[in-house]
Amino acid sequence: MTRTTNKPLTTCFKSCGLRRRPVCDPGLTALHPALRRGVFSLLALTSALSMGTALAAPTAIETDFDDQEILITLPTGAVATDTPPADANKAADQIQTYLIQARTQGDPRYLGYARALLDRWPEQRMTDRLVILNASLNQSLHQFEPAREQLTDVINQSTDREQVIQAHLTLANLELVQGRYAPAREHCEQLFSALPGLIATSCQAQVDARTGSAQTAYKSLLARTQRSSTSDTVSLSWAEGTLADIAAQLGRPEAEQHWRRVLTLTPDDLYARAQLSDWLLEQGDARAVINLTDGYEQVDSLAVIRAIALKRLEHVDAAPLADRLEERFNEARWRGNLLHQRDLARYALDIEGNTDTALTYARANWQDQREPLDTRLLLRAAKAASEDSIIADVRAWLNGHNQQDARYPEGES
Amino acid sequence: MTPIIQRLTTSLGLLLLMTLPLTSWAHKASDSFIYVDQSEPQLRIDLALRDLALILPLDRNNDGQLNGAEVRQSRDAITRLVDGGLTLSNASGRCQLVGQQWGLSRHSDGPYAAGQYQVACPDSQPPASMEYSLLFDQDPLHRGLVSISDGQGERLAVLAPDEQKLALDVNTGTLGSSFQLFGTFLYEGVIHLLIGLDHILFLLVLMLPATLPLKPRQPAEMTRHRDNLRVRLLELVGIVTAFTVAHSITLALAALNIVTLPIAWVETVIALSIAVAALNVFWPFLGHKTWKLAFGFGLIHGFGFASVLGDLTSGVSQTVVALAGFNLGVELGQLGLLVVLFPVLYLCGRFRLYERAAVPAMLLMVGALSLYWVAERATAI
Repeated sequence: MTRTTNKPLTTCFKSCGLRRRPVCDPGLTALHPALRRGVFSLLALTSALSMGTALAAPTAIETDFDDQEILITLPTGAVATDTPPADANKAADQIQTYLIQARTQGDPRYLGYARALLDRWPEQRMTDRLVILNASLNQSLHQFEPAREQLTDVINQSTDREQVIQAHLTLANLELVQGRYAPAREHCEQLFSALPGLIATSCQAQVDARTGSAQTAYKSLLARTQRSSTSDTVSLSWAEGTLADIAAQLGRPEAEQHWRRVLTLTPDDLYARAQLSDWLLEQGDARAVINLTDGYEQVDSLAVIRAIALKRLEHVDAAPLADRLEERFNEARWRGNLLHQRDLARYALDIEGNTDTALTYARANWQDQREPLDTRLLLRAAKAASEDSIIADVRAWLNGHNQQDARYPEGES
Repeated sequence: MTPIIQRLTTSLGLLLLMTLPLTSWAHKASDSFIYVDQSEPQLRIDLALRDLALILPLDRNNDGQLNGAEVRQSRDAITRLVDGGLTLSNASGRCQLVGQQWGLSRHSDGPYAAGQYQVACPDSQPPASMEYSLLFDQDPLHRGLVSISDGQGERLAVLAPDEQKLALDVNTGTLGSSFQLFGTFLYEGVIHLLIGLDHILFLLVLMLPATLPLKPRQPAEMTRHRDNLRVRLLELVGIVTAFTVAHSITLALAALNIVTLPIAWVETVIALSIAVAALNVFWPFLGHKTWKLAFGFGLIHGFGFASVLGDLTSGVSQTVVALAGFNLGVELGQLGLLVVLFPVLYLCGRFRLYERAAVPAMLLMVGALSLYWVAERATAI
């Protein structure tokens, strides 16, 4: 037998997702022995490899490259791993810098550098601040449970008020992302009693909005934001982002201006940029999406939205970008341990038109993250795959929290 | 705003960014790509320039950029790094990496330094294992993405700080041992029998006569209920044993490449065998001894199983283990089916309607379906 098995495997890889075995209709396969044999080679290889081999083909080695050609620009603030920071605060500063670089550039390599520093830091010299940073890193790596434990430890044990406040805020957001609104509300309240202000109010408004009171949450946060001093850009940006999200949830056109204010205050907020792009795409303004995502193709979430906009406009760049995304996601699947299942699912659904893969990853993503865009993606993928029972499960969860969202696809609740 | 609040919000501000959900992943985490070709044996390793710059002083002019010349000048250093961080070996000892080609390649996140090596082990055999430790100290999230091929099959694996060692067999590496290989093929055998409708129908047709009450022309004392069951069970055991022995023989012959038949013909004859067996129940032109029929056609069914097994074992070195597992799986599937079906059908045999209507109807339907397959498969030849 030769490599004939590669071809069906590639097909399966695209249609079945990584860990899903191909679903075969026994009646059909009984009628077609040739097909059945193909299916068996799929079964055997998927069980043995769990991966497609078509991913692995390397490009040729280029030997006569130009001496003068600039190949890459190295990131600034190169990593100095040989000399560990002198004290815990310096270490924490360094880790915090890495985490912010990872966030604002969308570059996960910085998470690795932060992990290296934390792993090497002696246990007996850990500080509350380092524990919180460790939790933030874990959250970034989708290690939600350890992150939750570390933050809870700081809240229960720390005597440093500043760190307890930070832990409440981080944990409130973790719970919010995971759709656990009761503990999220509790931490927002604790945050509010320790540090009343726009951030704590935003925290509460976000929880209220996701649990049935979007209208009032929007109104009161808006009033509060308009009253507050404009010098505190950090809090203001945070509040505007929350207002934008609630406005989008309510289907109100103000969402765009709120997101634009966030980007004016903090231009490198990739999260806000992706949210605004998504909003504009939903409003049918593909050209604005292309402007907004220009130069951000290295960021998966923005690149996927850009690819959808290009496809809608039948732009010449649509196919090349889709190809680059395919290569990127193939490498990510080979690596396993996916951090961006949402992007992969959306790519599969809206670019490839591959509903099985989209549903697989949208479901897996929803186990971890239940932000409105995660929920919407799962609802859309389930609808495309006609999986009514999944839609019913998600709707039941939404009803349980009294959550309505204009971004979700039509359907009886 | 009081100073403490001010200070708090400033420090909070830095961390606010990090509390946002992680949706915008980009670039990508650090990976190196390692391709092992066991048939040559050869190895290619691609390391990201950006990652190499963490370990080696690639940027000689300190301008924050890497050009072609700087990478070329670092070739020796990169080769030494690979030599220190990547070990291939087998029972005879550590294998040498003999450079063949060196240059640049690209992956989704940018340029990589790529080296192609001949793998020379002391006994001139292919390497059996690989150990990789590059970059894990700098970046615990770094991974070595490995592809192992042997000209027949290919397998992918991932190396991580807690999994730096890898066995280089193409198919058994992840399965680990013969035991797991056996288990996998056992499972495939069961599944194949259960979803391969033609084998099930053939068994059903053979079994149906044995579920009917004994004919009155047989000695009266034997028609008593208990004796009836005993006789019928013996008959069933005979049929199943004959079928099993026959298909095991041909499955082994075909799987070990001693006898091979064109699969399209085999599939057609299998379909035909069902129709013939069904016809034989009405009009026993091949005799009343169903076990002989089971044996004869069992030989053909064995070739059918073998074609599936052949696809499954492409690249598997331990064909015998696979064969044993698969065959046993088929038998288990068959036995499981009988244990469920026979008692039900046997109990139905007490009703006249079963013998008069249900059995003929089933045989007719099965016969018609199998003739349809015969036509379909024959025209496809």
